[in-house]
Amino acid sequence: MTQRPLELILARNLMSALSTPAFLVDEGGVLVFYNEAAGMMLGKRFEELGTVGADEWGALFGPFDDSGEPIPYDDLPLVSAVRDGRPAHAEYVIHSSDGAAHAVEVSAFPILTAHGSQGGIAIFWPTQANGDGTASA
Amino acid sequence: MKVKLWGTRGSIPSPGPETIRYGGNTSCVGVTLSDGSLLALDAGSGIRSLGLDLGDEPTRLHILLTHLHLDHILGLAFFAPVFRPQTEIVIWGPASPEASLRDRIARYISAPLSPVEVRELPCDVSFRHCPETEWEIGPARIRTASVAHRGPTLGYRIDDGDSSLTYIPDHEPGLGADLDRLEDDWISGFALARETSLLIHDGQYTDSEYPNHIGWGHSPLRDALAFARRTGAERTVLFHHDPMHSDDFLDRFSVEAKERWAALGGDPAAIELAAERVEYELPVRAPRAVTPA
Repeated sequence: MTQRPLELILARNLMSALSTPAFLVDEGGVLVFYNEAAGMMLGKRFEELGTVGADEWGALFGPFDDSGEPIPYDDLPLVSAVRDGRPAHAEYVIHSSDGAAHAVEVSAFPILTAHGSQGGIAIFWPTQANGDGTASA
Repeated sequence: MKVKLWGTRGSIPSPGPETIRYGGNTSCVGVTLSDGSLLALDAGSGIRSLGLDLGDEPTRLHILLTHLHLDHILGLAFFAPVFRPQTEIVIWGPASPEASLRDRIARYISAPLSPVEVRELPCDVSFRHCPETEWEIGPARIRTASVAHRGPTLGYRIDDGDSSLTYIPDHEPGLGADLDRLEDDWISGFALARETSLLIHDGQYTDSEYPNHIGWGHSPLRDALAFARRTGAERTVLFHHDPMHSDDFLDRFSVEAKERWAALGGDPAAIELAAERVEYELPVRAPRAVTPA
């Protein structure tokens, strides 16, 4: 058994203390943690779900664009942040487990270390337009 | 493998009548491998005594630095073997994106902080960044991992034959986390310490002191015990004593540690506070006090 990269451990510990939904993926794109606030948004705690493979976790919240079209996995900010090694930002609509739609802004950034990329973090914010993040459509 | 504690104190040397029994020198542990190869873990002020103890031997040794905080390197310029031309010293340490290991150490061994410069040291000294993978020194396999502390910091595991030593003197694995709830691979330092023969681990603070020192990079007793229990270390030595902790204080702290370890289901004899010049021979379990400090 090997230890997770320390940067991921510290990121998880920080995210655990945040009230903002936050997601953590490793360098392979595997979703390795999301915090309690994200669990409330999704309707399922991370401890219940466990890690989710790359290409699979996007479907957890089914992001849609303004016209209601699904956003391809490769276009998600967290995916591009890890892939390109640069921060990424987007606005889209997600569906929580109860079917409610939430308009969110997502900021993602890669975790870059002396040993290269170790993964990335995405933080979700309700859009300013809707205040509580509830989508109008 | 023989292990001898030459400096057990954290932060700053703390000599005086109130620190005689546990010692006032900062971090340094001497390790003699099964083939006689010598390692020094960290180069705090305790390494000066190690150097004096060595006499004219050996001609080759390795110094493994966990990090470059002053209490872990301040003895380097006072380590007698560095002033002998026949000595070959390899200094291992963490890489940093900022500067090489040599350049970072040279900030201390240079004017105005030091009367000598690294380039003036008579010994044959080289500096190596610890690889991410396991490597060998003599008969031992050496492994490192980045651990939770301030700045680039490593823990070490040394496997020699059937015994192993894990050295994580500066460590705050419980920062922002409940060690009893995390999965093994999410615990800083876990893989290094897993079922190790001897764990030398940070135990700087009491639980009541810790709230005023969260994020300083050191463990309260609660987390040191939880880490030792989770990793299944056979014997644990609590290290890096706070400079404000007198011998009498540490005596009481030791009693508390043993009682709480027993309450967790552990053998009270398997946990103790580090004391300068105490020696351990692995895999022999019982510690042997050689020369009280």
